[in-house]
Formats: sequence, C-alpha cells, structure tokens
Amino acid sequence: MLQIHNLHVNVAGNDILNGIDLNVRPGEVHAIMGPNGSGKSTLAQVLAGRDGYEITAGSVHYLDQDLLPLTPEERARAGIFLAFQYPLEIPGVANVQLLRTALNSLRRARGEAEMDAIDFLEFVKDKLMLLGMDDSFLFRSVNEGFSGGEKKRNEILQMAVLEPQLAILDETDSGLDIDALHVVAQGVNSLRNAAHAIILVTHYQRLLNYIVPDQVHVLAGGRIVRSGGRELALELEQKGYAWLEDKASQADNAADLMEARL
Amino acid sequence: MITPTAYRDALSQIDAPNSFAAARQAALNAFLKTGLPESRQEDWRYISLDHLERMPLHAPEDGLGILPALEDYPGALLAYLDDRLVWQDTSLPPRVLDTLENAIGDGIPAWAAESFGSLAGTASLTQLNAALWREGACLRVPAGERLRQPVFLRFAAAEADVMLYPRVFVHMAVGADAILVEHFLGDPSIEYWQNPVAEIVLEAGARLTHLRIIEDSNLATHTGLSAVHLARDSSYRALNLTLSGQVARHELNLALAEAGAEARLDGVFIAAGRSRTEQHLRIAHQAPHGKSRTHYCGLADGRGRGVFDARVEVQAHADGNDAQQTSRNLLLSPHAEIDAKPQLEIYADDVKCSHSATVGSLDENALFYLRSRGIDGEHARHLLMQAFIDEALGLLDDTGLRDWLMPRLLAGMPRVQSLEP
Repeated sequence: MLQIHNLHVNVAGNDILNGIDLNVRPGEVHAIMGPNGSGKSTLAQVLAGRDGYEITAGSVHYLDQDLLPLTPEERARAGIFLAFQYPLEIPGVANVQLLRTALNSLRRARGEAEMDAIDFLEFVKDKLMLLGMDDSFLFRSVNEGFSGGEKKRNEILQMAVLEPQLAILDETDSGLDIDALHVVAQGVNSLRNAAHAIILVTHYQRLLNYIVPDQVHVLAGGRIVRSGGRELALELEQKGYAWLEDKASQADNAADLMEARL
Repeated sequence: MITPTAYRDALSQIDAPNSFAAARQAALNAFLKTGLPESRQEDWRYISLDHLERMPLHAPEDGLGILPALEDYPGALLAYLDDRLVWQDTSLPPRVLDTLENAIGDGIPAWAAESFGSLAGTASLTQLNAALWREGACLRVPAGERLRQPVFLRFAAAEADVMLYPRVFVHMAVGADAILVEHFLGDPSIEYWQNPVAEIVLEAGARLTHLRIIEDSNLATHTGLSAVHLARDSSYRALNLTLSGQVARHELNLALAEAGAEARLDGVFIAAGRSRTEQHLRIAHQAPHGKSRTHYCGLADGRGRGVFDARVEVQAHADGNDAQQTSRNLLLSPHAEIDAKPQLEIYADDVKCSHSATVGSLDENALFYLRSRGIDGEHARHLLMQAFIDEALGLLDDTGLRDWLMPRLLAGMPRVQSLEP
C-alpha cells in the first residue's frame, strides 16, 4: 500500500530524514517510535503533503502511484489521513461544517452522491457515540476551547467519518489521560480491518498496549535504526532511547571513518 | 471638471414645492462653492473622486430605467429605481412608511423640525444630496410600537452615468422598535454615482437595528452618509456591509447625545480587483453612561484597498462611558492594502475605552489542516474567510436575516467558486 524508499528530506537547510525505507501493507499497523527530534513528525507531515519540506532524494508510492506530486487534498481523497499532533483551532468554522464538507469532498472525488445535512447528522451520530462525544461537539467551532483530550478525540472523530485507507496518527497519545487514551484507542481499533493500514507515530509505548502493532520501527537521526515486533517497543520502554542515539552516532562515526579511509 | 450646469439642470428638473425650492437652491450654491471633496482634505486622503469630473453625469431621465427582477425581500419593501419609487409591497400605513416627499409635504412637520436637514451636517456632498434628492423614504415608528417585519429600502441604478441622491429620514419615537435594511445596487454593466444620506433619530428608549448593504456595480461610485442621534437609553445596532463598487465610501456619524445610550456597530468590507472602499466612523459620547462597541472586518484581494477610520470622542463630563473598537483585517494578495486608523479622543475622567486593529493574512496552518481533510485549497480559503467575517455578523441571527443575506455576502467574497450551503 505504502512504499517509502530511501527518503531524504531537508527542512530550511537541515537534513531531517536521511534515507527512510518503509513498507506498509493493507491491514497492518506500524508503530514509528523515537526520541524527540528524530524526524517522526516530519515523516508524518511529508506523507500528508505539507509545504516547506524539500525531498532531496528517494520516493514514496501509495497504491502504486507516486505520492509526492499530489496536493494535500488529493492525498486525502486518495484515502490518506493525518491525525495532527497539535490540531488547529478554527474559530468560526463549525465542526459539523468541516466534517460534512470534507466527507462530501471525498465522496465527490469517488463519484458518489453528496450527503445532505440530515443524512449526515444521522451518519455522524454513531461515530460520536464511539468516541464518547455528545452532539454539542458538532456545533462548536473546530477545536476552539477544546481541552487537549477533546482535540485528540476530535481528530479521531474526523478519521472515523472519513474512513481513510491509510491513517497516520502523529503522537495522538501525547497529553491524554488513561481514559481518553482508551477511548481514542477504541476509535482507532474500530477502523482496523484487512483493507486499512495505520501508522502510529509515538514517543511512548503506552498506546501500543491498546493498539497492538504488527511492526515497530525506531527512528533516530532521520533513519530507521531498528525494526522489530511488538517486543521492541517494550524493550525501548525499559532502556529508553539513549542507547539508540549512541548507536546512530556510532554508525555515523563509522561512516565518516570509512569515507576518511577512502 | 463637471460644469455646474449638470447640477443646475438636475435641480431644474425637480418639481419641489416653493417652500423647499429656496432651501434646495441654497444647498446647491453651498456645494458649488466648495465642489467635490479633494484629496488634501484629511478624510478624503485615500480616495479620489476625480473620475466623477470626467463622467457625463446627469440626473436620471424618467422612465428610461428598466426594473430588474426583484429579489425576495422578507418584509415591507419600498423599491426605487434611479431615485423613483417604482414598487412597493407593504401593509404599513403611510404615516409609518412613505416617500419622504409625501411625509414632509409642503413644510417641515414638527416631528422632523429639529433634525431634518441638520443632522446630516453641511459637508459638500451632503449639501448636494440636500439639493437634488427626489422622493426619498421616511420611516416613522410611533411611540411604544414594535414593527413585526423588517423594512427594506431598495435603491437601484439602471441608467448609465446617472447621479442618484437617495434620502432617508427615520424617526423612532419613544420606546419604538424596528429593523431597517437599506440595500444599494445597480446594473453591473454601467457606471453611476450614488450619494445617499440617511438621518436617523432615536428618541428615549427607542431601538433600531439597521443593516446597510452596498452591492453596487463594480463600475460604480458610492459615497454614503448615515447620521444618527441617540436620546436617553436608546439603542442603535448597525451592520454595514460593503460588498462591491469601484469606489465605495460610507461615513457614519453617531451622537450618543443623552445618558445611557448604546450603539453596536458591526461591519464587513471587501475590496477586490482594483476597488477602493472606506469606512469612516465618528462616534461622539456626549453624555454619561453611554456604551459603544465597534467591530469591523475588512478583506482585501487583488489590488484592492480598504480604509477603516474610526474616531471615538468622549466629551468632557461624559463620565461612565464605555467604548470599544475592534478592526480586524485580512489581506489575500501581496498587492492588497488595508489602512486601519482607530482613534480615541477622551476629555472625560471616568471612562473605559479600548481599541485594537490587526492586519494579517490567512493562516497557512489552518489551510493545510483543511486541505489535509480533502477540502480543496479554494474552498478551504473560503471557509476561513467566512469564519473570519462571522464575528461581525451576529446581527444576522438577531434579525433573522442570515438566510436572506448570506448568499449575497458569499457572492461578494473574493474568488468565489461553488460552495456548499
């Protein structure tokens, strides 16, 4: 479904990603972990199509098409969804307006009929229930005055409405108390099936107790330095990230040494 | 320049009673003495009316204009075409709603004596209106009465190069309550000049909600004045919308003349293409315990240019006044410009006054957020613009006119494509 090959990304003159390789197949859940500044969020933003990231090498293919030339809205219509680490507040735009406009944009792109306001309210009710949100959330401005936990839940509500094929959750667990984490995880798990894939970007393994990944990747210095199963996350929890950074810089030193010799 | 002949001809066509002929002539003479405002006058520093001098401006010829299809107006309606009343749909008696010509008859009646002609002041364009207005409109709401439906005054232009002088007089007696909508528009393919004047008197405890919509041709010039006088404990709430016009200027002079008067002034102005729009507000707190709230939102696109110029003056001994001004502006193109000039002049000791002005561009992060949900860039920009002006549109809900107005407002927004309701 998603093939990232040797991806290099530069932001404002700094190399942030230095050769990412990642394959995600339908039905899989991948966790991307790593210390702050390792490039996790950059990877998520690049996949969603944000401006300001220069792809200096490598490729990204999604459903057998080149993803990189697509605009953010084209990516969304192709089934990619990014749950933001810091969801934006948009005063004056009602949540329901955003949800319905977005859903209808996707439906139009798929050649389906748009959903009218009444049908949409019916449709969105179940999703609200799933996330323990009441109707009043629909009529408030997008994320305005929401608590941290409500914002994250609202991201998952959008995801539940848009039913993406590839969902990327950027530190959705950060700032959540245990109850909210549980609710969010439940929302994500409800979308899990053989056709959908999920990339979880997270600092802590806590979320992975609730959303069990098929694969765990550790990002450090803009590279995936280790990949493994669920047990890798537990190991990280015990040892922290420090040993990985040593490993990454050792690798750099080794490379430098090699170059020097040549 | 336009020769005085054009104005004199226009005056000669007006069939006014003798009692007013001299006053009209005097007003015209006063105008001819000073002429059109010039850019060296501070209030006219940003826009020029020089183009009016080059136009073959003339008074409308009777019966030439063709009445365009009338939109649905949810209330009582007087519809004017080139300064002639051509349609009315109202069950209000003439003593409440009529042409100004009929209402004042041969001599100024007692209820208008204090304010008619004087509230608007003596600026040159106001003098010109005083000389050349025809028919006009008069709304008089009797003491304690509340009009159940809004009153719409539709001033349309249909003939090329006409100069139009809509004149409105509103008298809200003690405790009266009404909603008034002034709607200015015209054939989008023609040049013309609307120079309207409205005088509005609120007696003690009266309440008026006033929507004023400039939706003129993008080739047109609009120079309008509203002058409002508020007596004790009266309340004036206004929403001023400037959606189009080559040059569109609105001046609002408000006097909180007696204790406890309250004003809420909201506005949205849009300057797209190469258009110029100006909002000049003069709010005089003349008595104790007055309150004014101003909230204007400006949008400029293309090479459009907007000016928001508001001055609040709290006069000596007018203690306990509260005045707040907010001017929020959004630039949608690197060539657009908005000048915001909020000003406070305070001569009393015990007052609460504040003002703030911001000029910014659309939030790129918010745009990306919307686009990442599948909403195309154009539509996302539009949603954000709508959200931006929404803060100034509270009166639409209070008056029940949101559904009537929003389609016009959205059509007036820059770079509109298809939109969901």
